[in-house]
Amino acid sequence: MDWNNLPWDKIFVVLTVLISGPGIIVGVMVPAIGQTIVAAAGLKAISRQPEAGDRINSIVLLSLAMLESLAIYVLAIILILIFADPMLKYIVRVE
Amino acid sequence: MHRIYSPLTLVLLIALVIGLAIVSNLLGGSAGETEPNVAKEISPYVVFTVGPLEVTSTITHTWAMMFLLGVGAYLIGRNLQLRPALVQNMLEWIVEAIEKLIREMVEFEDTAIFLPIVGTLAFFVGSANLIGLLPGLKSPTPDINTPLAMAVVVFFSVPYFGIRTRGLGGYLKHYVEPIFLMLPIEIASEIARTLSLTFRLFGNIMGEEIIISVLFVVMPLFVPVPMMLFSIFTGLLQAYIFALLTCVYIGGAVRAHR
Repeated sequence: MDWNNLPWDKIFVVLTVLISGPGIIVGVMVPAIGQTIVAAAGLKAISRQPEAGDRINSIVLLSLAMLESLAIYVLAIILILIFADPMLKYIVRVE
Repeated sequence: MHRIYSPLTLVLLIALVIGLAIVSNLLGGSAGETEPNVAKEISPYVVFTVGPLEVTSTITHTWAMMFLLGVGAYLIGRNLQLRPALVQNMLEWIVEAIEKLIREMVEFEDTAIFLPIVGTLAFFVGSANLIGLLPGLKSPTPDINTPLAMAVVVFFSVPYFGIRTRGLGGYLKHYVEPIFLMLPIEIASEIARTLSLTFRLFGNIMGEEIIISVLFVVMPLFVPVPMMLFSIFTGLLQAYIFALLTCVYIGGAVRAHR
């Protein structure tokens, strides 16, 4: 098999797209589980002590934002992989 | 002079928002391109060039927005009333909400010194996220330079307020507070939270815009409208979270270690 004449640029693009899908699935699913736990705990706390609702509310939103950023990191990496891959110029032959 | 705004006003406001979203939808959908391109819809375009510098639509829209915000604030603030009308009432409500946020999160006696930066950031991020819904305009936040600039502002405002409230020695001591081994961790966390502020705002608004653009390309007529209405909520929530995190970071530098 002639490894040098394979269309590596096309193989690279196909592999990138194939990896991006499962990557974003895992990267969204795990922070979503964490956010569910935080939201449930916040609801329990508010229903136990409604007078502390404002303070609990802002802390819950803070934790949700922190967990949200994990999913956002995955999204940014996937976007870079698909739209602006820095490695692509080493793979694709400039004619 | 005690006026109660009827439900009709609210209905008209909601109808205005939905109508604006539909007009924006139609204008965006009927661009007349044979091959609609998602990446081209999102990325900013070059308006004009000054020598080697390319002035993109991000900069022009940001400056136009800043001009409108400044002139509007001046016009409203010039003529304050004891019994506020609709616009002043609305703005007072927002400012009071920001003050309450500062009081809860910073826990410092004098909240007035934090109001300018936190309030300005909240108004700026909120309006920057929302002007993308107006027909023909692009919002500046999906360009990574805008969130990065605001995160750098937060990065420098934290030591400013720390030194202002606790003095230089008191501020520098909080880096080495339990033991001096905490110093690299504290410095790393300062840099990491600047990056996380940047990417949170950028990724949220960028993802929203990508979804709306993909819906434009797939089904241009009326289908993106619910998503655009949802993006109003997302944009305002991101502005709130940006102000909240600014308060938390400033509060970490301002509070004495307990």
